[in-house]
Amino acid sequence: MYTADIRQPLVTGGKTYSDVTKDVCRPIENKPTPSWWLGFSIAVVLLLVLAGTLAWTVWEGIGTWNVNKSVMWGWDITNFEFWVGIGHAGTLISAILLLFRQKWRMAINRSAEAMTIFAVFCAAIFPLFHMGRVWLGYWPLPLPNAFGSLWVNFNSPLLWDVFAISTYLSVSLVFWYLGLIPDIATVRDRATTKARKFWYGFFAMGWNGSAKSWGRYEVVALILAGISTPLVLSVHTIVSMDFATSVIPGWHTTIFPPYFVAGAIFSGFGMVLTLLLIARHVMNYQDYITTEHLEAMTKVILLTGSIVGLAYITEFVIAAYSGYEYEQYAFANRMFGPYAWAYWTMMFCNLVAPQVFWSKWARTTPWFIFIISIIVNIGMWFERFVIIVTSLHRDFLPSSWVMYHATWVEVGIFLGTFGLFFTCFFMFAKFLPVINMAEVKTIIKDKE
Amino acid sequence: MVDKSILLDNKKFTVGIFDDSDKLLHAVNTLKEKGVKIFDCYTPFPVHHLDHALGYHRTNLTIGAFLCGLLGCLSGFTLAYYMNVVDWPMIIGGKPQDISVFTSFIPVMFELTILFTAFGMVIMFFARTRMIHGIKEDLLSRRQTDDHMVLAIDNDQDQSLSNKDILELLKKEGAIEVNDSKEAFNTSLTSEEELTKILKSNKTSTKKTKKK
Repeated sequence: MYTADIRQPLVTGGKTYSDVTKDVCRPIENKPTPSWWLGFSIAVVLLLVLAGTLAWTVWEGIGTWNVNKSVMWGWDITNFEFWVGIGHAGTLISAILLLFRQKWRMAINRSAEAMTIFAVFCAAIFPLFHMGRVWLGYWPLPLPNAFGSLWVNFNSPLLWDVFAISTYLSVSLVFWYLGLIPDIATVRDRATTKARKFWYGFFAMGWNGSAKSWGRYEVVALILAGISTPLVLSVHTIVSMDFATSVIPGWHTTIFPPYFVAGAIFSGFGMVLTLLLIARHVMNYQDYITTEHLEAMTKVILLTGSIVGLAYITEFVIAAYSGYEYEQYAFANRMFGPYAWAYWTMMFCNLVAPQVFWSKWARTTPWFIFIISIIVNIGMWFERFVIIVTSLHRDFLPSSWVMYHATWVEVGIFLGTFGLFFTCFFMFAKFLPVINMAEVKTIIKDKE
Repeated sequence: MVDKSILLDNKKFTVGIFDDSDKLLHAVNTLKEKGVKIFDCYTPFPVHHLDHALGYHRTNLTIGAFLCGLLGCLSGFTLAYYMNVVDWPMIIGGKPQDISVFTSFIPVMFELTILFTAFGMVIMFFARTRMIHGIKEDLLSRRQTDDHMVLAIDNDQDQSLSNKDILELLKKEGAIEVNDSKEAFNTSLTSEEELTKILKSNKTSTKKTKKK
């Protein structure tokens, strides 16, 4: 075992291998706690809100939203971007941090990957329903259509997005499931009820932990991490191209791909922190998700928050320097126009607030990190709102300038996606091991 | 469910059960030095250097993954080129629609490369490791996915040492339990007695953690 004396142990509390198994399997093997039921009920209520508002949208039409011909993307694509961004932390943690050999990832990668998958589900709802006729949602796929041999347009970034997001979702699912197999086998071998024995046995696929399997398994995990790394970066790059390849002032900038990727990691870590701080408290996982873990994540928040802040300022400076009147107006309008409140909320939440993490106290105090993580989530939602709405509401033709405010249906769908997200997450916390037992067992004695 | 049947062919094994990965690794090295042929080891987590110690070669799955990736990349190109250039070019604003727009095919080629690599490799991994939904596991210890590490030696193979010597050597290396005729089993074959025991130990541990 490798030990570095200046480092704190990755797992505290002197846990043994069987302690890890017992602690992680406890929620699966016992009845859910009252706090689980409470959280789950709230999530299901919100899920019903989602179902209701989506049904109303389909029944009545997109007219139930306030999107119009100037602001055609409104809350809908804002929410899509928001959820896709959140979906970036999971694969970043499990893939990029694996390549960087950051062992602290092992206690948090399972829940972060789960979060990724659920967030992408939530994201997918928005473009699908924005089509208006959701039953024709398969049209962006490269299928020969019924009215002739017209195919999808491969020159369109929107089509690249379809490929990127669906690849990202399926590869993340595979990566997550592969990581789950040894742990599902652990639950199977401890199973005391017939149902648990059957279902966990079914999904464990006969895993028995032989050295040969582990050898192959590790190579597969490494390659998956290797290919997931460019995948994570490509997804938000392509999402940013939805904007950057247009000729709308405020969107048409080359800085978008790196800026969006940094923003995605930033918001993803914000959400991971929010969820983990709750899970750690409710499930008593303080020995596995230690303050060291929180500190490491806050450092990522600090770094990516600063990158995002730098991008905001760069964007502004370049607009001022460009000598291009429309670009200059778009940015001045963001800062001082009717949506200035949104712009300054974004600036405060994303650029100013995370700077508190320069202080060691802020990085190691859970309740404070929780507050900042919520602020980060809010800030990143506003970033997308600012980019989309302020760039669209005043275009080249002053006669088509409008103000845009969401209707209750749009707000309901957004709140409803939180219901979907948390319903999935609560189910995951009840039925699957939230911490990667097999990986945590390898670092139990490490200080790194 | 069908059986996995890597171990279940009525084979008997000599097993040593360890509770520490360093001890297991040391035992494997010592046995190998004495010329004992080891069937396989079963551990709850990946033990580093164990595959080298057992003399396993690095898996060839990476080559398969590369080929899948190549196939994905070519599929991406074929898809985009056939649809947008050969079959039905969409001329928008008089812009060309031929090989010169290759760059806008790159994102799709890239995504399909990743998709094919990931799925191809994982499917090959499952096939190679004989894993499929519904297959029954075969275990040598109920706790080999929890905290026990099993070193298994096939009794049908000729060994340089006698069975007794091997057992003694395993004990000397720190095995907490040895057995010279262990048969593989799966959880559906486990007795109810054993299940109750596990359930009890589980409950006591819950109480302990709550007190903390």
